Amino acid sequence: MTARASGSAPGAALAGLVAAPVVVGLGYSAAAAIGLAGPAARGLSLVHIDRVMRDATVWRGLAWTIYAAALATALATAAAVAVAIGFRGTGIGDRLARIAALVPFPIPYVVAAAGAVLVLGQSGLLARLAAAAGVIHDPSGFPPLVLDRPGLGFILTFAWKEVPFLTFVAVSVLATRGQQLEETARTLGASPAATLRRVTVPLLWRGLAPAVVLVFIFIAGTYEGAALLGPTDPLPFAVATYERYQALDLTLRGDGFVLTLLGLILGLAAVAVFEWTRARAERLRS
Amino acid sequence: MLAAAACGHRAAARDATRDATRDATRGVTRGVTPGLASAAALARMPWDSVVARARGSTVRWLLWRGDPAINHYVDEWLAPRLAMRYGITLDPVDAQGPAILNALVVEREAGRTVGTADLLWINGETFHNLRREGLLAGPWARSLPAAALVDTASPIVARDFGEDPAGYESPWGRVELALIYDSTRTPEPPRTYEALADWVHAHPGRFTYDQGFTGLAFLTGLMIHLGGGASRFTGPFDSARYVAASARLWDWLARARPDLWRHGAAYPQGVAQLEHLFANREVDFAMSYNENEVVSKVRDGALPATSRAYVLRDGALANAHFVAIPFNAPNAAGAMVVANVLLSPEAQLEKARPDGWGDGSVLAVDRLPPEWARRFARLPADARQVPRDTLARYAEPEASPRYSELLQSDWRTHVRTGTTEDPSAGGDPESRTTRPALRSGP
Repeated sequence: MTARASGSAPGAALAGLVAAPVVVGLGYSAAAAIGLAGPAARGLSLVHIDRVMRDATVWRGLAWTIYAAALATALATAAAVAVAIGFRGTGIGDRLARIAALVPFPIPYVVAAAGAVLVLGQSGLLARLAAAAGVIHDPSGFPPLVLDRPGLGFILTFAWKEVPFLTFVAVSVLATRGQQLEETARTLGASPAATLRRVTVPLLWRGLAPAVVLVFIFIAGTYEGAALLGPTDPLPFAVATYERYQALDLTLRGDGFVLTLLGLILGLAAVAVFEWTRARAERLRS
Repeated sequence: MLAAAACGHRAAARDATRDATRDATRGVTRGVTPGLASAAALARMPWDSVVARARGSTVRWLLWRGDPAINHYVDEWLAPRLAMRYGITLDPVDAQGPAILNALVVEREAGRTVGTADLLWINGETFHNLRREGLLAGPWARSLPAAALVDTASPIVARDFGEDPAGYESPWGRVELALIYDSTRTPEPPRTYEALADWVHAHPGRFTYDQGFTGLAFLTGLMIHLGGGASRFTGPFDSARYVAASARLWDWLARARPDLWRHGAAYPQGVAQLEHLFANREVDFAMSYNENEVVSKVRDGALPATSRAYVLRDGALANAHFVAIPFNAPNAAGAMVVANVLLSPEAQLEKARPDGWGDGSVLAVDRLPPEWARRFARLPADARQVPRDTLARYAEPEASPRYSELLQSDWRTHVRTGTTEDPSAGGDPESRTTRPALRSGP
């Protein structure tokens, strides 16, 4: 008991140390959002909250961000699951495929985004190749994939960048827990398709879901990639937040803190949805 | 000459030393480092005393570090000379206007009477906001020996976006807004805003401007031209003038929009993205708020070798950039010595070289010793640069920062989103800022 108590105290202290900056930041953001802190703070006021709530561009930007982050996460998840299930053997081909899926891992996000501009832009590598091959008359005829409203460049880049992380988790889940359960199912007479559907996929879902939620929250909150690849209108949420925080008009800085809090709510909502779906799945299984 | 200027300050030396000692004593009670003297108190001391206090210290300088030519000047030319002559260690840290403001506000709120930065590179809106928030030390700039050489007759150097620096910042350089074109692609670029509008319509998809500082300067210059010229925008912010001039600007932009790059539905995030589009032939014009930057950009391979800079005959916005000392600078003496070196003819000449940074001098040639005046006159010219007499002929000072603030805000809210209504229709822009219902939509 004593040992447990002494063990938990440093743990609690460490947790507090990790959480403290977030809590302080949250408190400061809340104070700045109501005019009690930050540049040009002039006392308690709801003007920043009111202005953000009435600003349609904020909500359009938020909707775009959720759409783009969800689509990029879904694509990355699908690719990671395909690699984890399709190339799980010990043969050289399977190993090479798994290694290939991990290649984007060490590339910094901002480098990936800048690279995407060079490859996907209307004067980029793909456009020039297409023009050289005669597919389009001129590179400018290439469809806009950067700074475009559908956010194709952003989605493809972040999906590509997140495949390694999700593949790593998916492969680990299957390697540590999958094999034994699958063999048991097959021993009991389950077909390969039934094993995949009833054992492998649920296992992956349970193991991968937290990572998927993390990836969604990360993509939704990313700034550099959104600034380089995202559309001008709707403006990605992170860019809109930073823009207000850097605005020449000091009275707009407080709006940036309101958006920061909204971003936090978005992240918490993603976690809540994840917990709800997991609890529901647990209930269905039991 | 510098020594003579320094002698002029000795009259107040005894009082200043007493003030500085008193400041330091108060500082101890506030938790300030003993020996710390405010910039204002130092400004009343003999220059030799300031230098003595600065000797052997470290000066942390917050400045934009995004240009290799500027970094090279600071790291390879300036820092070694400061170390050799004054034993000062220069510590350049990357930060820009809004980030500097945010950091100082946080330090003030945290009660940090001794901050982390000694010197700031700022101008325009940042100076205006820092002064309004009481985050700058001073006055001190006029006490620098080299301040006697500054071209105070120029409204571009003597004022910062129409505002009197009042000794709270010292000029460092001056620049002018230039358009950049490719002489092989566009042998005859448009020379006026009207000609530019015609060119845009005749070449759909080949022109745009960025959403950052440079693009905002382009819009401000256009608004000033459409509003009757720079002479009508001197003095404090005029709400009615903004409404009238910006209405013409929105109309100009609305007419140009269908023929802009991506039909005006997307804009480069900053000038670097615009340069990328220009270099890759997606658009035919880039911009720079440094008329000489084209030389270093071509040298670095960022722009095509046939790139040229030019200014519009309707007027080109010009401004000076400055260095300032924050209210809680731990080493104001060191900062003042650095500011003085930055103003020296030697440093200004080196900074102006087109094969280096190419930044304009803030010194008056007729106040320089003859030898230095001759050296400035012999500065080599580059064919890509705008001739100096052309720069001088079309230069126009910036208007009050409030114009840019509102322009940025209204452009973001309405033009960027393709809203067709005139943002100026919201009424008095000053009251719109504090009335959210009107700010949120026309």
